[in-house]
Amino acid sequence: MAEISFLEVFQYTRQDSVIHRLDPRAKLFMSIVLAVMSLLFLSIIPLLIILGCLVPIIIAAKSLRRWLRSMKGLSVLLIFIIIFNTLLSTQPNPFSHSIALTLRLIALMTSFSVFFLTVHPDELSQALIQMRVRFEFAFAMSMAMRYVPTLGQEAYAIMDAQKARGVELDKGSLLKRIRNIVPIIVPLIIVSIRRALSIAESMESRGFGSSEKRTYMNVLRFKKSDWIVVLVSLLVLIFVVYVRLYVTLPSWLLWQFGI
Amino acid sequence: MIILEDVHYAYDGLYTALQGVSLQIDDGERIAIVGSNGAGKTTLVKHLNGLLRPDKGRVILDGVDTKHYSVAELARQIGLVMQNPDHQLFLDSVEREVLFSLENLGYSKEEAKEQCDRTLNNLGLEGFSERSPFTLSGGERKRVALASVLATEPRVLSLDEPTIGQDARQKEKLARMLSDLNEKGKAVIVVTHDIEFVIENFPRTIAMANGRIVADGQTNFVLSNDDVLEMCSLTRPQLTETARHLHAVFPEVPERLTLMDDLEDVVLRVLGGG
Repeated sequence: MAEISFLEVFQYTRQDSVIHRLDPRAKLFMSIVLAVMSLLFLSIIPLLIILGCLVPIIIAAKSLRRWLRSMKGLSVLLIFIIIFNTLLSTQPNPFSHSIALTLRLIALMTSFSVFFLTVHPDELSQALIQMRVRFEFAFAMSMAMRYVPTLGQEAYAIMDAQKARGVELDKGSLLKRIRNIVPIIVPLIIVSIRRALSIAESMESRGFGSSEKRTYMNVLRFKKSDWIVVLVSLLVLIFVVYVRLYVTLPSWLLWQFGI
Repeated sequence: MIILEDVHYAYDGLYTALQGVSLQIDDGERIAIVGSNGAGKTTLVKHLNGLLRPDKGRVILDGVDTKHYSVAELARQIGLVMQNPDHQLFLDSVEREVLFSLENLGYSKEEAKEQCDRTLNNLGLEGFSERSPFTLSGGERKRVALASVLATEPRVLSLDEPTIGQDARQKEKLARMLSDLNEKGKAVIVVTHDIEFVIENFPRTIAMANGRIVADGQTNFVLSNDDVLEMCSLTRPQLTETARHLHAVFPEVPERLTLMDDLEDVVLRVLGGG
């Protein structure tokens, strides 16, 4: 499953770190600010600076190795982006432009991965609820996240069942291999739909949605560190937006590869 | 002939499922594998067709270690029907579903069609060939999944929990079909908790507990042994229970009986007075 290993960086890992302990809402704000920053610039040096801020956060979340592994999984895609953009771009300096695009993609992925790596699905739904999202929607979202690994296991079981009927999954021409996906995908979709229906039925039989007002066992509260994170993020955001709008960047910040 | 030699297996190298399983399956045998949940029964049958490969030990088919074969190659000789039929079915008619397996294994069009019709008839699915498997009931889907492998008439057929969700009549049909296959010299292996189904149809029983074989032998010996039943969390077969009650009154009735014929003989003898 090397092809999808880059998704690891969006999967919650149980750990105890400064970042894990932050309130999910503070982290969401921080992630959005970091993402906005990476969207505001499209030159190599500023994006490197943003990455320079992101990597320490990943280290603080004790997830550097996982992040590196994901980036390695992503590298094929990144190289594609660089090659195709360099060849097909209409920009004055296509190579620098495509490098900047790749850096932006990495920065965007990393900023959201900080959030998804460190927020437990339950915390996420609680955060959404406290941000006035309706409980049903928040619940559906955390259920969706909860069932991703189950779906993976299911896919393996289906592959086994089809192999036992003589389907050769890892042999044959490219076309044949693509056609071989059908016996995997169709049962996977059907099983998921069936499961969704039966989960819905069993939830209703257990009284889901019977009371209008729910109470919660764990309620999220902002701590001092959360306020600091939000405040710093806000200041950074204001500063960056100001710089982007009203300051002409010095030429060293706009450095490009020589043509 | 399949030989398992001291097979060890642990899922992800961590969760031990088999710890030293050795057994021999001859052509034309009928074997039931019983055991409590998590005893390693499914793990064991998945080793037969190479879906799982032993961490230690060997699986040998006709003198050749199966590590030299792919699952698809083994599937020609060793059929396996898994528990959940929904993991198998993906085509839009029952007939095409069965034909798919046959075509994978290289049957010609006519042969495949004939084989398919016969199997559907034998499993009570004759009116269903144009139906979509997804509109069938759970028990019917289970039979379609069975049909799709049974039709290929493998030399060794292993079924994981085939009787779940089947009524008595369907179980009988399944049993008849398995014994037909068996008469053609095919070996049939069944993983099940259905002890009466075992007694009626399988002369040999392998009992498993904690990834080991705890008993392997004639079904009436294995399933009338209280220690084995305890280890496999099985309840006593009704007939054995009856024999025990009779034994309390008529000491000449042996306690460990599982077969109707034996019980009849004994009762007749007791009633006949000698």
